[in-house]
Amino acid sequence: MKKDLFPKAVLKLLKENGIEEEDIFAASATDMNTDCLYADGFVVVTLKALAIVMSAPDDTEIRSFKGYMSKESAIASSDKEWTVKIYDLKTTENLKAEPQVACSVLTADIDGVTYRLTAFSNLYKREMHQLVRTFDKICMETKAAEKLEGKESFGKEGTGRPEPEKPESPESKEERIQKLKVYGKDEDNKDEYCPTCGMMYPDKSRKVCPRCMDRRSIFMRVLGYFKPYKVKIAGLFLCYILTAGLNLVWPYLNGTILYDKVLAKNNAFLEKFGIQDGEFITALLMVVLTMLMARITIIVIGMIQGVFAAKIVTSVVRDMKKSIFGNMGKLSISFFRSRQTGSLMTRVMSDADRITGFFIDGLPTIFISGFTILVSLGFMFSIKWQMTLMVLVVIPFIMLIGLKLRPRIWTQFGHRHRAERAVNSQVNDNLTGARVVKAFGQEKRETTRFEKNNSRLREAEMSIVGTQNLVRGSYSGIFEILNISVWLIGVYLIMVTHEIELGIMITFVGYIGQLQGPINFFSRVFHWWSDSMNSAQRMFEIIDSVPEIREAEHPIELENPKGKIELKNVSFGYEVNRPVLKELDLEIKEGSMLGIVGRSGAGKTTLVNLISRMYDPQEGEILIDGKNIKDLSFKSLRRNVAMVSQETYIFMGTVEENIAYANPEASHADVIRAAKLASAHEFIMRMPDGYDTRIGSSGRELSGGEKQRISIARAILSNPKILILDEATASVDTETERDIQRSISYLIKGRTTISIAHRLSTLKDADYLVVIDNGKITERGTHKELEELKGTYYKLMELQRKALALKGIE
Amino acid sequence: MPGFGGFRGGRPGGPGKPFGEEEFNLEQMEKETEEMLKMRFLDKKNAEFTATGGGFVSLKVGDEEYARVQVVRMFPFTDPDHYISIRTSDENSKEIGIIKDLKDVPKETAELLIAQMNLRYFTPVITKIINIKDEYGYAYFDVVTDRGQCRFTINMGGSSVVHLSETRILISDVDENRFEIPDVMKLSAAERKKLDLFL
Repeated sequence: MKKDLFPKAVLKLLKENGIEEEDIFAASATDMNTDCLYADGFVVVTLKALAIVMSAPDDTEIRSFKGYMSKESAIASSDKEWTVKIYDLKTTENLKAEPQVACSVLTADIDGVTYRLTAFSNLYKREMHQLVRTFDKICMETKAAEKLEGKESFGKEGTGRPEPEKPESPESKEERIQKLKVYGKDEDNKDEYCPTCGMMYPDKSRKVCPRCMDRRSIFMRVLGYFKPYKVKIAGLFLCYILTAGLNLVWPYLNGTILYDKVLAKNNAFLEKFGIQDGEFITALLMVVLTMLMARITIIVIGMIQGVFAAKIVTSVVRDMKKSIFGNMGKLSISFFRSRQTGSLMTRVMSDADRITGFFIDGLPTIFISGFTILVSLGFMFSIKWQMTLMVLVVIPFIMLIGLKLRPRIWTQFGHRHRAERAVNSQVNDNLTGARVVKAFGQEKRETTRFEKNNSRLREAEMSIVGTQNLVRGSYSGIFEILNISVWLIGVYLIMVTHEIELGIMITFVGYIGQLQGPINFFSRVFHWWSDSMNSAQRMFEIIDSVPEIREAEHPIELENPKGKIELKNVSFGYEVNRPVLKELDLEIKEGSMLGIVGRSGAGKTTLVNLISRMYDPQEGEILIDGKNIKDLSFKSLRRNVAMVSQETYIFMGTVEENIAYANPEASHADVIRAAKLASAHEFIMRMPDGYDTRIGSSGRELSGGEKQRISIARAILSNPKILILDEATASVDTETERDIQRSISYLIKGRTTISIAHRLSTLKDADYLVVIDNGKITERGTHKELEELKGTYYKLMELQRKALALKGIE
Repeated sequence: MPGFGGFRGGRPGGPGKPFGEEEFNLEQMEKETEEMLKMRFLDKKNAEFTATGGGFVSLKVGDEEYARVQVVRMFPFTDPDHYISIRTSDENSKEIGIIKDLKDVPKETAELLIAQMNLRYFTPVITKIINIKDEYGYAYFDVVTDRGQCRFTINMGGSSVVHLSETRILISDVDENRFEIPDVMKLSAAERKKLDLFL
């Protein structure tokens, strides 16, 4: 935790109890007491003691969790009553942060009894985990030191277990202990807060504060995507402006000129255009022709505009999708673990459309509509300001209706969207699970369930239509009222006071008509804008995500790899407080085969995932040929490490394309050889189209064993120095397994092989075996050694032998 | 070394018995399977729960003694007072027995166990919604719970809001802290409207 977060009173209290601030090795804040009541507190670890400082529970205080947490509010106000409990490290053991369902409890064995020390919400999970780790390390170091001292006091050289390191000078031991100190080193935490508003980032891997992210900068970034199409956009704008201009002239042509000048037989007007007096028919023809031309021009411009828009939209959407997809590929596996694939698909597919839609349709319309409203009002004022005032009075009402009713529609849209999703996912569920539904005869129940979702969708649809009608009705209602009142005033002005003429009246009403669209538009544009900015934000979330696994800046290429693998003190967990692998040490000699045995969930797959660098270990390092895999280039790592995993994936394409996935240039002969080695050739040849058979999601369906053999062939063809087989033969029958086994024994020559298997028979070629349990290696050695050990491995052998015997009985 | 959980299934011969070259025994296998399927129910007659000094619960059942046990609900949402699994407290916890109904144990014991479960299933109950604001893929909640006012943030993309029933909602924030609304209909219409997005 941050150094400056301690209230002064707490530091004072600690000092009174013999703990100076510089003694603190690790510290974490906490927000619950032992009874899981919200209260502020701190846990502190020094070399000698564990201290828990708590305040009394207080439910009048506002609890802020991630996203609301600001630096200031994290500092517990110091005017509280603090109490402290100090535990001597000598009698305190097994400090553990035990995860509960939605919080954690800190426990420790004190004098042999397990105590609940405090509880904390998930907000402090990371901090507390670090504290527990530091505590463990301190305990280990001090115990090692005690042992060493003990030996020295006997005045003899240690004769017991040979220590890997020579007895160190006391300074270096001191230094080593000092290195454990994490308190005050805020490297890990300094990036957790937004520098602008002080709020904690909801997602640490993405240092963008959603609250501070200003929409303008997103907007500008989106504009960047349109930059390459400047010329077309200029053309598009020209079209918009021309259309708007012509639309504005229309009421004038249609009203004032037609009625007041031509139909009213105004000679002065004719003179202006050089038409002889009285030739009103010619004038009329000309006006009608002009009007016709204007209409045709508007239509033609509309068409041109459509072409421009389509060109720009498709290009920009393509560019956006390309950059989303491109970056998604670069991201590490952990990104895909944490987000639903479905929502990723939506992002790639619909967000780009939505953003571009707004920029092409919405944005120009803002300008055009604003322009139209201003110019129309200007014309109207110049015609008759008294009538215009009437309009100005009504406009706010219209806006008000929009602002009042539209939010209702948006929530209803949300409802419909969710109802739609429910229906779709049920259809999907039932199609994929059709066999299960049929097998258990649950068609009727599924239909009822579907009916329920379906009617919900219908209701949602209905309510949208209802509200839309209401909005439309009130809009037109108000406009009708406006029209009628303007007509009434107009007629009064024409007939009674003779202030205006009929044509002017018609022009005026025409302008009112022009206003309708833009005003309507403005009442919904804000929602449109924020919707598209949300989409843009989501899109940038993917584009900005930095992959957790990054290639070193100056990567090393592996030349003439030998394939020696070393794991040094490797610890890893998918979540901070649930370690999967704990301080693992392992060496795999070049060209040898290592067998890994262990129950499911013991961490076997995790171990090989680390070797192929799908994840990076949290502690310790992994070396290939003595080089840290973090320093190796992705290219040489991927080329030299191939994995056949328990999850086989077949891409859309032919059998050959699937086998040659890692090496598309492979010749037919190579592909066939790989398939033969993987015992896949025979079944491939039994398919009508042979190696050209289309497989994958749209093609022919393969059985689990067939898929597995294809992926083995894929690995064989990539010809790696290190081959990882993670339950590679789990879903094939015994006979095929024997075939594959034979090819594997051929395959492992000259390679380092790591094989994970439940069936021990699969591991009979292994030079060396390890048993993993609970993230630790519990047994290691050759077949013979492990059998003699009579431990887990032996038990397992016996069990499987018996299972075979059972088969014999059948 | 802790037990090797995954292979516990068969456990021929039981612990301690040498594996030797003995013949495969179908009868024994059947017996083991039966044992595996058997549910041991704990009640006031056979089990004795006591609070430990450290804030946990210990159990004595027959001649077995456990210094600390875990109390876990089998149906935490739908049937919290029945089928409570009493488990060992180590990482690969094993079931010691089941309490079918909390009424099967003395009242004090039930209270003791409930206190343990309240710790385990810590979930503040939302009683009032002050404000919900959704923005850029996150929703910011400002609510009053039975533990005081809480402000938290949820991710809009994932499954942060789970409907346990038509009216019961479970909300998980970005750190997976949980909050519950037991009955949406008990909120005021205005509050429900704020929550509308998630209903």
